[in-house]
Amino acid sequence: MPTRSPLKRPDRPYLALGLEGSANKLGAGVIRHEIDGSSTVLSNVRHTYITPPGEGFLPRDTAVHHRQWALKVIEDAVTTSGVGMHDLDCICYTKGPGMGAPLQSVALVARTLSLLFDKPLVGVNHCVGHIEMGREITGARNPVVLYVSGGNTQVIAYSRQCYRIFGETLDIAVGNCLDRFARVINLSNDPSPGYNIEQEAKKGKRLIPLPYATKGMDVSLSGILTATEALTHDKRYRPDDPPESGAEEDYFTSADLCFSLQETIFAMLVEITERAMAHIGSKEVLIVGGVGCNMRLQEMMAIMAEERGGTVFATDERFCIDNGIMIAQAGLLSYRMGFQTPITKSTCTQRFRTDEVHVAWRA
Amino acid sequence: MALLPLPDPSPTAALVRSSVLISQGAEAKVYRTTLHTGGGPVLLKYRFSKQYRHATLDATLTRARVAGEARALVRCLRCGVSVPGLRFVDVANGALGIEWVDGKSVRSLLGSGDEGERYREEDEDIAPAEDEDLFVGYKVPKDALMVMVGTEIAKMHLADIIHGDLTTSNMMLRHPSSTMNPLGVHQLVLIDFGLAYTSTLAEDKAVDLYVLERAFASTHPESEPLFSSVLDAYKRKMGKEWPAIGRKLEDVRLRGRKRSMVG
Amino acid sequence: MESFAYPHFSSIAHVALFDRVTNAGEIRARIVRASSLEGDEGDAEREAVSFAFIDARLVTSVLHIQTAITQALLAAAQNTLRTKTVHSEVIWALNPSNNITEALRRYGVTDDSTALFVIRIESLASIDVRSRMSAVVEGTLVPMSALAGLTDWVAVKKYNKLGGDPYIKEIQNDPAHEHHLIDNIVVSFVAMKSVSG
Repeated sequence: MPTRSPLKRPDRPYLALGLEGSANKLGAGVIRHEIDGSSTVLSNVRHTYITPPGEGFLPRDTAVHHRQWALKVIEDAVTTSGVGMHDLDCICYTKGPGMGAPLQSVALVARTLSLLFDKPLVGVNHCVGHIEMGREITGARNPVVLYVSGGNTQVIAYSRQCYRIFGETLDIAVGNCLDRFARVINLSNDPSPGYNIEQEAKKGKRLIPLPYATKGMDVSLSGILTATEALTHDKRYRPDDPPESGAEEDYFTSADLCFSLQETIFAMLVEITERAMAHIGSKEVLIVGGVGCNMRLQEMMAIMAEERGGTVFATDERFCIDNGIMIAQAGLLSYRMGFQTPITKSTCTQRFRTDEVHVAWRA
Repeated sequence: MALLPLPDPSPTAALVRSSVLISQGAEAKVYRTTLHTGGGPVLLKYRFSKQYRHATLDATLTRARVAGEARALVRCLRCGVSVPGLRFVDVANGALGIEWVDGKSVRSLLGSGDEGERYREEDEDIAPAEDEDLFVGYKVPKDALMVMVGTEIAKMHLADIIHGDLTTSNMMLRHPSSTMNPLGVHQLVLIDFGLAYTSTLAEDKAVDLYVLERAFASTHPESEPLFSSVLDAYKRKMGKEWPAIGRKLEDVRLRGRKRSMVG
Repeated sequence: MESFAYPHFSSIAHVALFDRVTNAGEIRARIVRASSLEGDEGDAEREAVSFAFIDARLVTSVLHIQTAITQALLAAAQNTLRTKTVHSEVIWALNPSNNITEALRRYGVTDDSTALFVIRIESLASIDVRSRMSAVVEGTLVPMSALAGLTDWVAVKKYNKLGGDPYIKEIQNDPAHEHHLIDNIVVSFVAMKSVSG
């Protein structure tokens, strides 16, 4: 079925530096596309802006963090890669979507490097970066993609040089929902609130009924967040298991709420992913984005895929969580198809839909 | 009364075993069955359990969806929307028995192009095709068929039912000579209300239409004049409700249904 | 009389339609008395009237009856009977509300019933049902098709609360269409009774 790829085998190795800073992670990485068609990750460095428990990250403070760490992170990435700035073919940066100020701070660095070393710029869609890195790492050929992060929740499938969005959240993103609940129950933001929710959920036992809101291939998550928050004011709520509680006592803990929140939300995500797979007749599913690290989500997706005789592909935190290398990967694919971003057009955009990108490198 | 010592603990499981599988979707298997002698064929929709989700959540969802689909169908019937009636409900086992519709899907009547969408629908028939002779004589001009489609959807929307999954596969033309069709005329029947819900919002109705528009575009080559006939008939039937929905439809088309998200 | 097999319930339903019934009041009285009789005599009398007696005026089609039997058999199999027997459950299934007394009063045999459906549900082993029915009911056994002249559509609409439906009003001058639709609706009501309300 797949027609010949429009992307030609490289006549020589190609090198790209990728810079990412659309949210609270600052990342830089260098990738090399080899003449045999494979890719090598030469470096992948990240620094995360971590806020105190109960607090989210604000755009201005995050931009300050990125400016403070940009040189260190990029220097580490380039040094580790073992190649020099002059060897690069292009510098790739995140054009969007994301938070305005952090995006701009990184784009400014990219522009400066571009002028300093006389290297072409390639603006990259953050979501396409996730998809391309996921495909490269896992070897998934034409998967349905579940992209789940702090800012995005989308079910995507490739069709005619476009990553079409089949379903998505109608309100808040899944990572946002989990993070906000983590703040309600005062979980640490280190290494990430979502990670700590996952650990809490492992201790949960009782499934507390929460709203379940799928609408075709879309989901709605804000009602679930509100309902879960409201349960922390319920008289049956205990932050932790009481030391000597009677078996008959009716209560639930924050661990139970984390468990119930994950079980409910992930069931919704797996359901819409399955619906998309059934719709297009695909047997592969790829999970990308920060929430994609969650082992329970991966497990549920794997069971679903197995029931359909399919396969699930997922990556670990190095590639799931926002990083520079994914920007380098998607940017270099597009550069090899002849795409460049002139410096006068090297802007950022907070809103940049996945399906706006012309995926020239795929058939 | 010494009655009915049942050998099989689940009659519905026995029923499923004795039925003929016709298609399998993401959430349900669809069978052709008979509930008893002296009765016509029945379409059995069996929502199997999903191992990936918590057992309690799975049971709750299955019950809610079977009940939801049943309610949507009855609401449609009462409002004169042509849909199949209910014949059997076993909510505990996720089974719904629905009146069998003798006929052909609009999708197959229009004939889908070979090129175009390269995706295949998974819900394709598995069982061998029905006796083709039954379908001889669907002498309905395409335009008349499109008018029927638009009118039936309008009736459904006037009843504040949102189908949730309008495609040309989910509408059937009932053959006039079918024994189940006492009216003796071609009748367009809407089916598969598994994703249906009630709403009075113009936005939801517009999205329903948009989903169908996309389905036309991806399934039928040169679908534009076809869909515009559908829309014309829909407008006529909706009357003064149309302008609000029409405006929303424009919005929905522009943004491709989805809002822009911040990364 | 017709017999319908429900193979996945390992059951068979014998359904007879009697018209010009003259002893409806007596049948009703026997059912009431049988429930309180004790000893062997009680068992024998209960067995003699072990049928579902249904006033045919509120029945819209044989399918209507068949559907109520299906749902009653399902409730019996799942131990969720709302009434004492599968026969009374058939009557309960026909009534849109959950009120058992109301179901018996409206759909069961009443003193002024003149046309009755008599139903006996059995495991597959067969007995001579027809003669047992005739021993209880004084009336004329008629074919199922005779129901067409027996259904009281006004009462059906009233008890199923369909009289106010705008669409049904709209088609009331087209009886064929109206009756077909109402039948489909009430059959659907019976089928989905376990999840309605």
